[in-house]
Amino acid sequence: MRRVVVVGSGASGVHFAQTALERGAHVTLVDVGRTAPAPVLPEASFARFKREHADPAGYFLGARFEGVLFPGAKGEYYGFPPHKSYIFAPLDRFRSQARGFDPLTSFARGGLAESWTGGAFPFHESELRDFPLEPRELQASYGTVAGRIGVSGTDDDLSRFTPVHDHLAPSLPLDAHSRVLLERYARERSRLNADLGVWMGRTRAAVRADERDGRHGCTNLGRCLWSCPREALYTPSLTLRALLRHERFTYLSGRFATRVEIDAANRVRKLHVVELATGRSEAIDASDIVLAAGTLASSKLFLDSLRAHGGSAPVLEGLMDNRQVLVPFINLAMLRRRYEPDSYQYHQLALGLEREDPRHYVHGLVTTLKTALVHPIVQSVPLDLKSALWIFRNAHAALGILNVNFHDDRRPECQLALEADREGTRLLARYEPSREEPERMRTALRSVRKALSRLGCIVPPGMAHVRPMGASVHYAGTLPMSAEARPLTTSPGGESHDVRGLYFADGSTFPFLPAKNLTFTLMANAERIARRWCDAQA
Amino acid sequence: MAERVELERECDVLARYLGASAGDEYVRAQYRAAHDAGVVELPGTSSFERTVVAVARHVPVLSRPLDAHARVFAPSSLLRRKLVLLLAILEVRAPHDEELDTPTGSSVLAMFARMAWLGLVFLAALFLGSLLSLPIWLISLAGGAR
Repeated sequence: MRRVVVVGSGASGVHFAQTALERGAHVTLVDVGRTAPAPVLPEASFARFKREHADPAGYFLGARFEGVLFPGAKGEYYGFPPHKSYIFAPLDRFRSQARGFDPLTSFARGGLAESWTGGAFPFHESELRDFPLEPRELQASYGTVAGRIGVSGTDDDLSRFTPVHDHLAPSLPLDAHSRVLLERYARERSRLNADLGVWMGRTRAAVRADERDGRHGCTNLGRCLWSCPREALYTPSLTLRALLRHERFTYLSGRFATRVEIDAANRVRKLHVVELATGRSEAIDASDIVLAAGTLASSKLFLDSLRAHGGSAPVLEGLMDNRQVLVPFINLAMLRRRYEPDSYQYHQLALGLEREDPRHYVHGLVTTLKTALVHPIVQSVPLDLKSALWIFRNAHAALGILNVNFHDDRRPECQLALEADREGTRLLARYEPSREEPERMRTALRSVRKALSRLGCIVPPGMAHVRPMGASVHYAGTLPMSAEARPLTTSPGGESHDVRGLYFADGSTFPFLPAKNLTFTLMANAERIARRWCDAQA
Repeated sequence: MAERVELERECDVLARYLGASAGDEYVRAQYRAAHDAGVVELPGTSSFERTVVAVARHVPVLSRPLDAHARVFAPSSLLRRKLVLLLAILEVRAPHDEELDTPTGSSVLAMFARMAWLGLVFLAALFLGSLLSLPIWLISLAGGAR
């Protein structure tokens, strides 16, 4: 069996590697590979953690209080905990500049999905219309990946938008707030469906209730936001840990891939990397290289390679990302109740808005805010802090956020390009929202507000927050799959139409971006590309 | 040393204002550490803002009017920054997290009545805070900020 070099240990890289290994290949994975801090008090619940940790402020707020959201600071209703900062820490060697776009990159083991919220929503057949492949091919990979990572969910009203696949485990128990919402939905269902095209159901989440593969099941510690210490919530670094035990797997961490060497016949020859600790350059011989470093990093690597090969780098068009709007709400039936920290903290319910064109489906994740930090919300109440706190303590259990996601299309004005200067090259990202976006958001948010109202919730006026592009970290589309061998596209098997032996297994190959979280599809698509690659080798 | 004592006193006064028992040694140490780290008082903080904090520290009963005034007219001012910082420290530290985040257990009707009352209290506090801002401004001009 042949050898393959994979760049990046994120959601795409590790699942490509796993399938390739299972089918007999030798895999070398090149990665910067920053590691996570060790879990602290792994069996303590959220409340117990605050009691027993010697320095809870250091843990929750950071050594330099970087987790405190001061008034006037640009922030969200909840942010990334300081101990997850290793995931987003920049790397000097990866330089970028963006317009209309706030890009996030990761050089951590497991990549950006180390901070995901576990949403595992397969794309619907209609959403795969632009993908040059049979939907059942991806459907099989969804099942394979679900078997590996553990996906919980229920065949319910949302299955019309998110197909049921193999290895779907039962959903976790609902928290009280989500239960109240779902019961209310059951009573209002026919009106919500018919009048507003709104459907609700259990979320699909990569979290398991049972113990398997060294991971513990979810025991409702309530620490999901702060990294699950029991590893019940899946992250790609768990797969990487398992791969490290495989005899045909070689992990080269602490390396930054700089370019792919391409020969005169437009075929890959070597992968050039820099060892970060020493600054030493090395070249790895390879006839097949898989870029799975995420859309931005893979695209830059590709452009740097073309520039080194031919003297110039083209512009990659079609950068996509999901627009997200956070809609906070108060569920009146939950007022004055004690909030419930001992439960699964991410979304337990999801909401779908049917659109005339099924590709324009709008997807919402319902998160009942329980163990998120309190001070960012309390300070936003237009009262003195003492009064605001009194209201908050009586409304805490009633608070929720609907994270509304919108689809994106490939458009020529959204681009990635390369700029060279004395220090090397820099990735230039440019994003412009579509002209239809404001109207699309207005219409959808009107339906969302009405739906929440029928579910017994109120949306405080002026509190909906349109997140900047880039914040969802669902980047895709710069080297789309195409059945035709056009320049700057990839084959349905992920191979570049420009450079033979160069494969893309991440979001850069998506020709369309549905409104759903894409990470589960990244894994499934990488698994599918690996199968095709293995079949081609055979 | 005097500055440290003042900062601890301020921590206790503001903690009580927020509804927690006076800060324990850990809370005080964290409050001090944040000030030492330079994340609280930003460049450009005016002597008026410092005087507002000094008044709130020495006359605890005025904390609420000064906070209400700051919420409307200077939401990113020094007093608000200190209050938000302290809230962040208290909410991650037992038993203060419980003190600040337990429902009061009243009926829905009583709760809405209390909310209406809080609205009125806020307006009154805002009015008083606005009245206070003039003498505080004069004190700050005279170099009274400590």
